Amino acid sequence: MINLTINGLNVSVEKGTTLLEAAHFLGFPVPTLCHMEGLSPYGACRLCVVEIGEGPRARLVSSCTYPAEEGLKVRTASERVVKARRMIIELLLASCPQSKVIQDLASAHGVMRQRFKQEYETCILCGLCVRMCEEQMMAKAIGFRGRGEKRSIGTPFDAVSGQCRQCGGCIYVCPACTLRCTYTEPEKAVCGACANLQPPCIEKDRFHDMMCYMDPCVACEIKKD
Amino acid sequence: MERLTTLRAFRDFRKRIAEPPPESGPTLVICAGTGGQASGSNDILRVIKRTIVEKGLSARISIRVTGCQGFCEMDPFIVVEPGARLYPKLHMEDVPRIIDAAVRGEVVEELLYRSRGEESIRYDSQGEIPFFKHQKRLILGRNAKIDPIRIFDYIKKGGYSGLEKVLERNEPAWIVEEVLASGLRGRGGGGFPTGRKWKLAKASSAPGTQKYFICNADEGDPGAYMDRSLLEGNPHGIIEGMAIGGIAIGATRGIVYVRTEYPLAIKHTLIALRQARELGLLGENILGSGRSFDIEIVRGAGAFVCGEETALIASIEGRPGEPRQRPPYPIEKGLWGRPTCINNVETIANVPLIFAMGSGEYAKIGVPGNSGTKIFSLVGKVMNTGLVEVPMGTTIHQIVHEIGGGSNTGLRVKAVQTGGPSGGCIPADRFDMPIDYDTLTAAGSIMGSGGMIVMDENTCMVDVAKYFMAFLKDESCGKCFTCRKGTQRMHEILDDITKGKASLDDLALLEELALVVKDTTMCGLGQTASNPILSTLRYFREEYLEHILHKRCPAGVCKELVGAPCQNACPVGTEAWRYVAHIARKEYDEAYRVIREANPFPSACARVCHHPCESFCRAGKSGGEPVAIRALKRFVTDTADPGAFQAKVPKAYKDAPKVAVIGAGPSGLTAAHLLSLTGCRVTIHEAESKPGGMLICGIPAYRLPREVLAREIASLMNENIDVILGSALGRDISVDGLLNDGFDAVYVAIGSHQSRRLQIEGEDAKGVLPGIRFLKAFNLEGEELAAGRVGVIGGGNSAVDAARVALRQNKVERVTIFYRRTIAEMPAYREEIEAALEEGIEIVPLVSPLAVVVRNGKVAGVRFARNALGDYDQSGRKRPVPVEGSEFEEEIDTLIAAIGEQPGTSCLSGLGLSKSGTLAADRRTLATDRPGVFAGGDVVTGSKTVIEAIAAGKKAARAIRRYLDGEPLEEPATAVLPGVFIPAHEGAKDEEPAARVRPPALSVKERAFCFDEVDRCIGEQEAIHEARRCLRCDLEFTQPDAEHGGAAAAGTKGNRA
Repeated sequence: MINLTINGLNVSVEKGTTLLEAAHFLGFPVPTLCHMEGLSPYGACRLCVVEIGEGPRARLVSSCTYPAEEGLKVRTASERVVKARRMIIELLLASCPQSKVIQDLASAHGVMRQRFKQEYETCILCGLCVRMCEEQMMAKAIGFRGRGEKRSIGTPFDAVSGQCRQCGGCIYVCPACTLRCTYTEPEKAVCGACANLQPPCIEKDRFHDMMCYMDPCVACEIKKD
Repeated sequence: MERLTTLRAFRDFRKRIAEPPPESGPTLVICAGTGGQASGSNDILRVIKRTIVEKGLSARISIRVTGCQGFCEMDPFIVVEPGARLYPKLHMEDVPRIIDAAVRGEVVEELLYRSRGEESIRYDSQGEIPFFKHQKRLILGRNAKIDPIRIFDYIKKGGYSGLEKVLERNEPAWIVEEVLASGLRGRGGGGFPTGRKWKLAKASSAPGTQKYFICNADEGDPGAYMDRSLLEGNPHGIIEGMAIGGIAIGATRGIVYVRTEYPLAIKHTLIALRQARELGLLGENILGSGRSFDIEIVRGAGAFVCGEETALIASIEGRPGEPRQRPPYPIEKGLWGRPTCINNVETIANVPLIFAMGSGEYAKIGVPGNSGTKIFSLVGKVMNTGLVEVPMGTTIHQIVHEIGGGSNTGLRVKAVQTGGPSGGCIPADRFDMPIDYDTLTAAGSIMGSGGMIVMDENTCMVDVAKYFMAFLKDESCGKCFTCRKGTQRMHEILDDITKGKASLDDLALLEELALVVKDTTMCGLGQTASNPILSTLRYFREEYLEHILHKRCPAGVCKELVGAPCQNACPVGTEAWRYVAHIARKEYDEAYRVIREANPFPSACARVCHHPCESFCRAGKSGGEPVAIRALKRFVTDTADPGAFQAKVPKAYKDAPKVAVIGAGPSGLTAAHLLSLTGCRVTIHEAESKPGGMLICGIPAYRLPREVLAREIASLMNENIDVILGSALGRDISVDGLLNDGFDAVYVAIGSHQSRRLQIEGEDAKGVLPGIRFLKAFNLEGEELAAGRVGVIGGGNSAVDAARVALRQNKVERVTIFYRRTIAEMPAYREEIEAALEEGIEIVPLVSPLAVVVRNGKVAGVRFARNALGDYDQSGRKRPVPVEGSEFEEEIDTLIAAIGEQPGTSCLSGLGLSKSGTLAADRRTLATDRPGVFAGGDVVTGSKTVIEAIAAGKKAARAIRRYLDGEPLEEPATAVLPGVFIPAHEGAKDEEPAARVRPPALSVKERAFCFDEVDRCIGEQEAIHEARRCLRCDLEFTQPDAEHGGAAAAGTKGNRA
């Protein structure tokens, strides 16, 4: 067993446990986007960063990939962590405001605006779908292509994949599109899921029983085509 | 080749091949690395071979083709041994002469190396050349001694002796201890102690586990190529180092991960690997020691991120080159899940050296904690581009100035960028910093792999940060979100700043984001990606603010803010491109109007302006010559009718605002003129007997004829302006008095008219004159104060002016200028110094006055000390240091002290002063600390140029007008871009662009002892040719007027301030 401290609480965990699992075990909330039980840790979204070490050697690491170490002191919500997390959420909102998951994250962390140029991307490249397809569905139908700005997810050469069984697992795990906000027209929703949960746009007539955390709601700003 | 199976056999083999051939003639050494080949060394080599065969010299001369030797600026070059004579930048036709001379044991003097700027000094051997002299070439030096594809060369020069020692002890723990004791740290940039890494790698996992030793040759920093040169120039050095490392950690397999873009490095390494295997230095049971190690090459596809160790491993395994989160570190779980030790090429190149010379000796090189040497690739705006190897702890000054030879553009070096895209910029005032891992990190940069990019004053730091961010944005693998989106967003904000679209909020966001990206990304690329921004913000925040608040790019780089560089460079914003275009179209009156609109002193500036427009002219970049804009202006002002420009003077009504201007110099006159055009009543007070300020007091008539100046000043006068001569501030008037007398605003522009004192003994003796007093006495009153032997102390324009005026006075025998630094460092304009020398004035550099020798109350001579050049000072120049016992006395009858001027501030009671002792005024509004009182020109800035004084006058006029109208003083900042379309001239398209025009000048004989103007005007044909050399940067911003069919726009007046 490995003993470590998380936010001042001592905890013993088995060797190989990640800091994220240990923190969740103690009940500390650590937000994640690219992590899912049953899929291998990936460390791409950086939302789960926690602070380890002390003094000048203190640093942020992604808790989903970092193995518990003997005597490690972990802080899951230090000022440095919260500041970083809020900036990451702001970046997410700037790229993918229509995601309900991201909007919820924003509201939970008190991020009420984003200061970058608004983009409307449909993917945050968290890689959940790629790992789902490979590790759980054993299909390997999709993967990453390109680098940096040009990185994207798709089938080889964008051709219809013979490996894909259209199981829908990729869509099921997607934080950016499964719960896609319906803009102002619920009937055009991709899945309608958000309309049943915590839908946005309280200001609009047709959404009087709904709520939205963004002020102003970036999703509502999207021009209808 | 026979495979050697014992250490003894290897020793015998070395002895056998080391025996010198019976009669060895001279050797021609040709640098044929990638850089050399690109510069044509293959052609040179072909000619050498042909010549040797044709002349039948093959028995009497030998050649050696080496990899890169580092002096890339001088490629292609040959070094002739013995004697190490270096012939740089060779042409094919020079080769036979060199061969002939070498065979005869002679030297071709005119082809020997000479440093640029000091062509008179020639260097007989390579070691004397400053570039080589100040280096310590432990690793690179070997490149010059061996042919990389001949293993015999390497063994002859002591190669593989490190491996030999290691195999003799046959004790991995000892190897690790030696490397630990040497203090070697990773040269890839991180600076992790190599010994410690090896120790961890050795200890990791059970014995018998397959381990790997990888050489990281994925060098991707823009401008860095030391790893390539090492692999190309001495692959056996790397093989030896890897074999030692492999034996130390217990790895039996080694991999060189090298970019496919390095074909020569791959070729040489493959050849070397084959040779080493054949000789038994690689493979099973090396030299009978029982140790096995072999190496293979893996070619990387050239992704920058693959230099990161986990991405590199992924790439070798055949997966996309993306890093993964550490831990586990590769030392525990690396290639194929096995312990893997990854070292940089240069680190590995150091290993054989440690064993050849002993770890104790090695640790003595450099500074404690940072031992050994480091190779830098010195590139950018520097004289000697190339690879430079220096001991750790060498200062940046030494690298940039002594080895690099300083800036190659004539401008001051502003900063260096170290460590590639993830590194940072270090400003010139910190160049005395020693280079080692820890100091660089503390300064906000990193060692990186050792790229060093030198930047001069024409480099915009925001643009530099943007460039690197664009690189990182493309090279980020995109796996982790903060690196991918963070670099994109940082680039986006930087792009906005360079386009003048950003606000201070954006800057704050940029900084916040940069810190988060540094903190939260997965691998080294992201963690250092913010460095270009954070370090430029740390040292050059002013430049960012200048872009954001004032919409200006001081270096003249950011296109959307600069527009045409000539216009941007001009303090008064003259549309130089526009009048040059008019001249090309022979529309001289239009051209005059353009000049006069921006500048009330066109004729004076056509003669004495220091023309910053020409220094920024694009035609002058990349080897060309800038358009002679000042000569063209002179042509226009001499040719066109000044009546082409008529300023409209409104009548000043009875209750019009009254403004007092103190000082009738260029700044005061400009402000008065412009204010009068807005309907103010202006009264000018001038202390001297004539208006003109420094234009008349300081600038001699041979540069600016008096009638030209008088005409120009007269044209600025109108019925709204009164001039009171002989009325000095502090003596006849005071600021309070003027405000009490009903003046609504006061503009103080009294200039800078007090010569600095020498602060030496005897300075107050008769015959010692402050420079300005001497010039004023002559220029205003015609008094000739100089006689006999005249000495002038100083190196600025007023010193040279004083010397040339003195030379023209009747009782003067000879004139000598004494300056404390070198002639090349004199701040006076080059053409003035040259003219002074032509006229027979002697300049004695590197002397400082100690005391004035006084006899009978009158100066009889000056005692000087000679100076030597010491350390570099803040300005990047070497500090003059007096040499002990070098004192000498010079007989002098008149001593003129012209070491600079400062404003007389005793008359400014009631107004706040700045730290430098000048009058304090807001930079943007020129407001002083008293409401209604404005100040500008030399009294605020200290001695500056005419055009800057005029610019201050213009700015003051606008600010005062806004003050009088009760508006906020500050103007909103906008970028000034070319706004008027002028069609290209109609001429033969195939006309050859002429070389830059040289204005005619009076010969030395004609100008001796007279004050006729020296520089003359160019002719019309010359002017048209010169104007047609303009590259028309403005056309990028202007469009033909669609309605008027284009050509009509040419005639319209652009109404721009």
